[in-house]
Amino acid sequence: METILSINQLSKRYGRIQAVNQLSLEVTKGQVFGILGPNGSGKTTTLSMVLDLVRPDNGTFEWFEETPTKENRKRIGTVIETPNFFPYLSARKNLEIVAKVKGYDYNDIDHSLEVAGLFDRRHDKFKTYSFGMKQRLAVASALLNQPEVMILDEPTNGLDPQGIAQVRELILQVAKEGITIILASHLLDEVQKICDHVAVLNKGNILYTGDVHEVLAISDSIELAAEDNQALKEAIENHPGFKSLTVTDGIVLVVFQENIPTAQINEYFHNKKITLTHLAERKRTLEQHFLELLKDNPS
Amino acid sequence: MKLITIELKKIQTYRTFWIIFGLYFGFLALGIIMAEFMVNAMVDDVNKRLPIPLPHAVLFNFPDIWQNLTFFASIRYVLIFPAIVIIILTTNEFSYKTVRQNVVNGMSRNEFIFAKLQIVLLLTLVITFILTIVMFILGLIHSDSQSLTMMFDKFSFVIGFFVQMLTFLCFAFFVGFIFRHTGLAIALFTLYVLIIEPVIYFVFRAPFMWENTIYTYLPVNSVVRVVEYPAIPALERLMDFQLQGEVTLLSCAIPILYSVVMIAIVYWSFNKKDL
Repeated sequence: METILSINQLSKRYGRIQAVNQLSLEVTKGQVFGILGPNGSGKTTTLSMVLDLVRPDNGTFEWFEETPTKENRKRIGTVIETPNFFPYLSARKNLEIVAKVKGYDYNDIDHSLEVAGLFDRRHDKFKTYSFGMKQRLAVASALLNQPEVMILDEPTNGLDPQGIAQVRELILQVAKEGITIILASHLLDEVQKICDHVAVLNKGNILYTGDVHEVLAISDSIELAAEDNQALKEAIENHPGFKSLTVTDGIVLVVFQENIPTAQINEYFHNKKITLTHLAERKRTLEQHFLELLKDNPS
Repeated sequence: MKLITIELKKIQTYRTFWIIFGLYFGFLALGIIMAEFMVNAMVDDVNKRLPIPLPHAVLFNFPDIWQNLTFFASIRYVLIFPAIVIIILTTNEFSYKTVRQNVVNGMSRNEFIFAKLQIVLLLTLVITFILTIVMFILGLIHSDSQSLTMMFDKFSFVIGFFVQMLTFLCFAFFVGFIFRHTGLAIALFTLYVLIIEPVIYFVFRAPFMWENTIYTYLPVNSVVRVVEYPAIPALERLMDFQLQGEVTLLSCAIPILYSVVMIAIVYWSFNKKDL
């Protein structure tokens, strides 16, 4: 598999805050790679470093298995946090500047504007655009001349639900065409819906990296209830796979270290002479998993 | 050519740019008209007390026109307009964060600096060219037929003006890159050029005008001094000093040296800093 981006031990410190701490990760061709983490976890700093906006203190990175140069940045389409364009220029003129910097002719501009749904307003000044339109123009500029990789940093931040849906639809469309996507977001739901791989970041450290579906699959929780919840609790705490439990409204919510089939759990209690009045599997969302990861790694 | 095309796209439909650019020529024209009027008013006033009257100033005849108009076009109150244009064009990139977009899209940091220096050079060339054409036409209108050698006798002042504009705009480029905020950069630059340096002049001034003090070597003054005085013989008599006959290489060297240092600082700091 061709490596698109490989980051090796990248670090950046801002005064007393270690924004990124010896971060390593690899993105291969065709992946939709999510970088997930709360605000201030180092997502933007990491992306800024691989885009030559921020100078790393330590560590290296490679684009397309080459030492980074301005030339390989021309193969990347980027949407950074806020749409950055000249307010007094039209959308079309702004994209002409982008095309010129990347060394393209203007043939693909109208097409990109159409994809972003801005063709009709292409001659209007950027400052007259709504926030959603500005963000879509940023996507259009990143899409110019089919980049090999797209980097999106919080692309739906500040958009209304309709705008969010539009931008996500656009990203999925692009992913379908086989363009590698690197998406930074603090929204689990967004990563869950769009990405196939994920790296979870907190305070500059990678907590977890892997397949999104694997993250979702591990250790769902089980809802249990019995006539005698006290006995149930004691019994479950002795289970070899037990991890943690919480009690709410007479329901005992148990997390096991790994997934255990409900039939096996039923049998376990049967052997302990406890009759369950309630047994249900609760699929955990990425959100719950994420919060747990943060709790387990109070770095 | 690619970089200058990109820069020109940024200013093509930028109204602020054209307004300030126009203001420069507006103020210049006004200044020249006022200057002749004021100098002659002063001469008339003095003549009332002199047995042998001083001649009236003639600003527009060859070859003095080269010296006179480049002098008026390079007084600090006028020079500040194109400098503000350069500051705005530079700091805009930081306030609109388009510098980030440029770098992300594949412009190197040095290319970004170089693109801005190209605009500095182009603006200097355009202003010098327009002014030269204006001076040439005005000169033709106001002078009796003269030999070519006579007409272009003081053409070194045009070269001097080119150096003045180029170096002064380099200072503006420097201020824009270092301070990054439009308002702050313009305020500090204006304060320095119009107030701080003149105050230093009053603090350190020499008893005679032609003596060198610290002030002589300050950046903005070094620029202004390239074309030091207009060719008005009455002034010579009134203020008791020798009129400048030509632009000297040494007077150009000081502002050029300042510019080189400033460009080097921008190069060094811009490559080191985060965007």
